[in-house]
Amino acid sequence: MSQLAAMLKVARVDLSYFFRTKWLILTLVTLNLSDMFVVGLIYTNMMSFNYFVFFVPGVIIAGMFAAALDVGRRVHLGLSEGVTQYYLSLPLSLNGLAFAHILSAGLGGLIFSSILLLVALSFVHGLFSLSTLIMIPFMFFISMGLGGIAAVINLFSGGGDRFWAFAEGVQMALLGMSTVFYPLTAVKSIMPAFAVTAITFNPLSQIADALRLAIASASLSPYALLSISVTSLLMLVIGFFCYRHVFSKVRLLGKV
Amino acid sequence: MNTYQVSSLLRFDLREAFNSPLWIGYSWIYFLFQFFVYGSIMSTLVITVHDYFFYYGTGLVVLSTFNIASWSGRRFVESAHEGRLRYILSLPIGRDEFFIEQLVLGVIVNLVRTLPPVLIVLFMSGLFSLANFLFTLLVLTLLAIGIMGLMVSLSVIAFKSFDIYSAIVAALSALLIRFSTISYPISSMNEIYAKATLSNPIAYGADLLRRAIGLDTSLLLSPSLSASVLVALAVGTLFLGIFFTGRFVEGVRSS
Repeated sequence: MSQLAAMLKVARVDLSYFFRTKWLILTLVTLNLSDMFVVGLIYTNMMSFNYFVFFVPGVIIAGMFAAALDVGRRVHLGLSEGVTQYYLSLPLSLNGLAFAHILSAGLGGLIFSSILLLVALSFVHGLFSLSTLIMIPFMFFISMGLGGIAAVINLFSGGGDRFWAFAEGVQMALLGMSTVFYPLTAVKSIMPAFAVTAITFNPLSQIADALRLAIASASLSPYALLSISVTSLLMLVIGFFCYRHVFSKVRLLGKV
Repeated sequence: MNTYQVSSLLRFDLREAFNSPLWIGYSWIYFLFQFFVYGSIMSTLVITVHDYFFYYGTGLVVLSTFNIASWSGRRFVESAHEGRLRYILSLPIGRDEFFIEQLVLGVIVNLVRTLPPVLIVLFMSGLFSLANFLFTLLVLTLLAIGIMGLMVSLSVIAFKSFDIYSAIVAALSALLIRFSTISYPISSMNEIYAKATLSNPIAYGADLLRRAIGLDTSLLLSPSLSASVLVALAVGTLFLGIFFTGRFVEGVRSS
C-alpha cells in the first residue's frame, strides 16, 4: 500500500472517531446553535447594531476551531491508550502519520463548520452567495492550521492531565483575543496597541472577518484570503513538525 | 448519622478535590480573562444596561458556581463508572449519608473556588461589605446545592448509558446558561425567551445575587420570588437526590 493510501486511511479512522462520539457532536452543535439563536438575538436587543448578523459567522468559526482542535484530544488519547504506538508499527512514515492527523483536523473543522453554515443559511435569508462558497476551501485550510495548534499543545503539555488544561486555556485565549465575538473597533477602544495587533493577526479574526465580508457584501478581499493562506500554512508547518517530534519520541521511547 | 465515618470520607474526598492546582488555577484565570477582556469589551458595546461590566461580572460568579456544581455531579457519575462507588457502598455508611457527604463536598469546593471571583467583583464594584459578602455566599451555596442535587439526580440516567447522560447534561447546561440572566437581563429578551428564562432557577439566583450586592435593580426579577425559587430548588433537589441515591445506585456496573 502506498504511503498516500495509508495516510488517508489513518486520517479517515481519526476523523471517524470525532463523529463516533455522538455526545460530543451533540454538545458542540447544541452549544453553537444556542449561541447563534439565543445569545446572538438577545445581544442584538442590547446593542446599537445588528449583533446577530455579526455573531453568526463568529459562531461558525468558533465551532470550526473547537472541531479542529479536537484532533489534539484524539492524539492525546491515542498516545495514552497505545493507538499511536500501533500506528507507528504500520508501514507508514512519521511524516505520513503527522500529516494524517493534520488532515483529519482540517476535515473535522470543515464538516462541522459546514453543518453550522448550512443551519445559518437556512434560517438567515440572503446569506448564500458565491463568495460564501469560495470561503469553504479556506475554512478547510485554516482548520488544518488550527490542527497544528493542537499539535503544539500536545508537545508542550507533555501528556497527562495537563493537556486538558492547556487545551482549554489556548482555546479561551485564542477565541477571547480575536474578533470572533466583538468588532475590532470595540477592541481598539480599550486594548493596548500590541494586543490590537495580536488580535488582528489572529487566524480566527482573519477567517471570521473574511466570512463576515463574504456574507454581508457577497465580496472577498484577496489580501484577506492571502493572509489566511499564509497564516494557515505557517501553523500547519509548525504543527506538522510538533507531531513529528512527538511521534519520533514515541517510536524511540515507547511513550511521550 | 455516623458523623465520624462521613467526615472521614469527606476529608478523603476534599484532599482529592484540591489535588489538582492546575485546574483550580485555570478556573481563576478563566474568570479573570472573561471578566477583564470579554466583559470590558462587551460593556463598550452594550447600551441598554448601566455598568454592564459588573452586571456580567456577577453573572460570571454564578456561572462559576454552576460549573463547579455540575462538576460535582459528573464526579459522582465518574466514580460509579470507575468502580469507586461500589467500594464506597460497601462501607458502613448509609446512602443518604453518602449523598449528604457529596453535597457538603460540593459546597466546600464551590465556596473555596468562587471566593476569589466574589471578592474581586465586590471590591472592584465598590460594593464590598460584610453583609453583602455573606449574602453572596448564601445565595451561591443555595444555588450550588440546587444544581448539584439536580446533576446527581440525573446520574440515574448515566447508570444506564453514560453517553446519553453526557448528552443530556451538556444540552441542559447549555440551555440553562443561555436561557438565564447570567449575561443579559430578562428585559432584553423576546417573549418566548423570557418565558423560558422565568422557569429557570439560575436566572433567579443571578438576579438575587445582583440585588443583594446592590447593583442596578431596575432590570432584575423580584427578590422575594427569587429567594423562594432558590430555596425551593435547593430543598427539592436535596430530597430528590436522597431519593434517587437511596434507590438506584445499587448494582451500578463499572465500565
